[in-house]
Amino acid sequence: MSAWRRVHAKLRALRGVVPSARDTHRHTWTVDGSLTLCRSFSTGRPAQNDFFKDLEAQLAAARKKMVDALPGSSWTPLQVNPNLPPERVDIVIVGGGVVGWSIAYWLKQRDGMREGHRVLVVEKDPTYSQASTVLSAGGIRQQFSLLENIQLSLASAEFLRNINVQLGVLNEDPIDLQFNHSGYLFLANEAVAHIMEENYNIQRHAGAKVSLLSPKRLKEKFPWINTDGVALASYGLENEGWFDPWTLLNAFKRKALSLGVIQCCGEVTDFTCSKKYMMTADGDLEPVKRIKSVKVQMPNSLEYQPVECAVVVNAAGAFSGKLTEMLGIGSGPKDSIAGVPLPVEPRKRYVYVAHCPEGPGLDTPFLIDYSGVYFRREGLGGNYIAGASPEEEEEPDVSNLEVDHQFFEEKVWPALANRVPAFEKLKVTSAWAGFYDYNTFDQNCIIGTHPLISNMYFATGFSGHGLQHSPAVGCAVAELILDGGFQTFDLSAFGFKRILDQEPILERNIV
Amino acid sequence: MLKILIPSIFLIFTAWTAPKKQLWSTTLAYSLIIALISLSWLVNPAETGWSFLGLHMATDPLSTPLLVLTCWLLPLMILASQNHISPEPENRQRMYITLLTSLQIFLIMAFGATEMFMFYVMFEATLIPTLIIITRWGNQAERLNAGTYFLFYTLAGSLPLLVALLLLQNSTGTLSLLTLQFCPPAPLSSYADKMWWAGCLIAFLVKMPLYGAHLWLPKAHVEAPIAGSMVLAAVLLKLGGYGMMRMMILLEPLTKELSYPFIIFALWGIIMTGSICLRQTDLKSLIAYSSVSHMGLVAAGILIQTPWGFSGALILMIAHGLTSSALFCLANTNYERTHSRTMVLARGLQMALPLMTSWWFIASLANLALPPLPNLMGELMIISSLFNWSWWTLALTGIGTLITAAYSLYMFLMTQRGPLPKHIIALDPSHSREHLLLALHLLPLLLLILKPEIIWGWTA
Repeated sequence: MSAWRRVHAKLRALRGVVPSARDTHRHTWTVDGSLTLCRSFSTGRPAQNDFFKDLEAQLAAARKKMVDALPGSSWTPLQVNPNLPPERVDIVIVGGGVVGWSIAYWLKQRDGMREGHRVLVVEKDPTYSQASTVLSAGGIRQQFSLLENIQLSLASAEFLRNINVQLGVLNEDPIDLQFNHSGYLFLANEAVAHIMEENYNIQRHAGAKVSLLSPKRLKEKFPWINTDGVALASYGLENEGWFDPWTLLNAFKRKALSLGVIQCCGEVTDFTCSKKYMMTADGDLEPVKRIKSVKVQMPNSLEYQPVECAVVVNAAGAFSGKLTEMLGIGSGPKDSIAGVPLPVEPRKRYVYVAHCPEGPGLDTPFLIDYSGVYFRREGLGGNYIAGASPEEEEEPDVSNLEVDHQFFEEKVWPALANRVPAFEKLKVTSAWAGFYDYNTFDQNCIIGTHPLISNMYFATGFSGHGLQHSPAVGCAVAELILDGGFQTFDLSAFGFKRILDQEPILERNIV
Repeated sequence: MLKILIPSIFLIFTAWTAPKKQLWSTTLAYSLIIALISLSWLVNPAETGWSFLGLHMATDPLSTPLLVLTCWLLPLMILASQNHISPEPENRQRMYITLLTSLQIFLIMAFGATEMFMFYVMFEATLIPTLIIITRWGNQAERLNAGTYFLFYTLAGSLPLLVALLLLQNSTGTLSLLTLQFCPPAPLSSYADKMWWAGCLIAFLVKMPLYGAHLWLPKAHVEAPIAGSMVLAAVLLKLGGYGMMRMMILLEPLTKELSYPFIIFALWGIIMTGSICLRQTDLKSLIAYSSVSHMGLVAAGILIQTPWGFSGALILMIAHGLTSSALFCLANTNYERTHSRTMVLARGLQMALPLMTSWWFIASLANLALPPLPNLMGELMIISSLFNWSWWTLALTGIGTLITAAYSLYMFLMTQRGPLPKHIIALDPSHSREHLLLALHLLPLLLLILKPEIIWGWTA
């Protein structure tokens, strides 16, 4: 080492002997050939050109270049935008919310190998600023009236309870969903109590653990409730409560990426289709399209990539209607199949966070009153989340996510304070708004293909219960695509056909 | 010989001067006429072995079937490419046909060469149009990787071949096959001679491909467009086999010991690549690995150097060429409809396209070597000559046959039987062009059952 230093010193001295343009500010020269070390007093350059520090950096750079050149690295001589999706995949999932990533996870989870079919998830907003998933209140319940909905929620709850078995990735942190199993409490007045009883029977039959409470029992269990007007209450004992939607989304995403799903930040702006006309039984000619490729536009740029694909899944949530319009659904003549649009549109719902130290306390369930107002506990510091469904005529404007605080003052607080007297003294600390992907037809999801587009699958229109159904719906859609039919859950009732036949399947008593 | 070669060269001019509306039909008709004239090579009354003898080119019973296969394949390639090339600009379409035709010209000159050096130059020359076809017209970004693997594997193998040929020219004074067959066997005993032996064969083993050097093949086959896959599977792999068969005469007596590891590689490769086929999700990749498997058997048959081995190898090469090309065409019909090569997304097609199922059935049966197709005849001859060489090979080839049957049936059942997915409806019906394409592949195969003398080489 010292030999190197001596040589190095000689080199530096030699540089001092022959002055170069760079060294004009040196102050010490050798005049008589004897070796002296030269120091420069300039502050613009490093005081010492340390050969060895540079050596480390240069060796690292050279090593990196070699590793890049070897096969197996992803370096190519043509440097393209790394965010561009591949030119050809098998399945494109439009929409990177919890439903989209759930479908991606289940599609790749089945084949058990990293090769196999290629799945691409396209999400236009990686900050999820307008996505329904992360703005959701995060509740899960089995108290529905449709058997399929109950089964989906039950299966999803099972999935969420064992989430680390399903979505755990090796060497990564375990998932903590913060699943509060506090249950849902529905309150019914005299007029709708019989509906609640019928629903209760269906739910028990399907295996949900629900109990019916009389007003007296209700008051015993939850003394903070004002039971005026309540004829019957339905309380979920197991598998109901709320969890953190952002954690679930990230868990699905992380696991799907580890299984080889490709993700892309971009917006689907166009489809390339092949079209042919087919005659229906009534003798009309309908245009049947087959999507050949999807045009994905890069954010803030004119760059786009046409992605050739075999199957497209529409999991775009509140924006699914806009996506389907690009294919011409809804723009045909009035009485044809092509004239029926996808009845999914965004509906804005507000969620208010209120602080009330004298509130109901830690064992508060997710309470839903028959007037439409709901609230649940949030965290352990005496905060509560509350909201209500607006009337059909008073739907707020969906062009933005601004919160209307008047709505709380006029519609939510009075009903809330009526039901829970402690809430007369609360303070609203924050509020947000999110979109429901609202199915204007019957407020239930639409799953399956469209008769006029051969290879697009819908998984949208959940109208407020997409998050709680997402694991099970992902499984069902993956089976539909890969197995050709539903295996575990029979969701054929949710097909698009009911919209064409104008036969709604309505939930009774929903919020 | 020139009566085929000159028209093929002029086919390039036709491709550039034909009016756009008649481009594809003209080139198709022209190449079909060339193919039909090439059948005249099969009439072979000469006693000397070499027929149609010219200064530089000739045919003999080994090269004739391969020449006819090459000429037969060009109209099939043009027919198969017509659909997917049609949206492209006119000049690119003409360029595509030019590349296919130039490939045919180089291949005719390669198979018809009497001088080993001409064969070598043509062997290398075929790489260029194939590389251009794969990298320019392939489907995905991985095609660049595929082209690189394809080019450099073959080039790395053929540089030693160049040196070996020059050494041979130096020692024997000639590289003409007509003369070399009468050369006395050289005293080959030194270590350098063993390297020379390896140098002669490695290029062809990489081209075949032998199991250890086969990585380029699945990539190239999967990324190439349909015509590229067809010509690769049907003819370019056979260049390797043909070259090996020509060189074998000169490589005595070293081959007796030195070929051991390569025979073992080949046999092990049959089983390994067959097993890989059982786990493939990509249809073209499955067919590519099945090519490696069949070519492993061919390589083993050639390295054994018995009359039955050579004969079986030649029959299997021709039969496999037609079968593999047919399977790629079938995979392409799937791809054009569903835009996916993944088998799980395009299943149950018997419900949607039943006529195509019959072609799938015949092609799958040919792939698994059903009697009395020539595939089986070739395999049986190779397997029995291997058994004669060593009893233990029967275990490997037997398991190999079993696995071949398994994955061929797997491929058929996955694509044709089973539930039809909800998104495979409203497909284009099977075009007559596709039916014609597959008929022209499989009918010769069926007709060869009746006259195998054409394809079994000198060893009659």
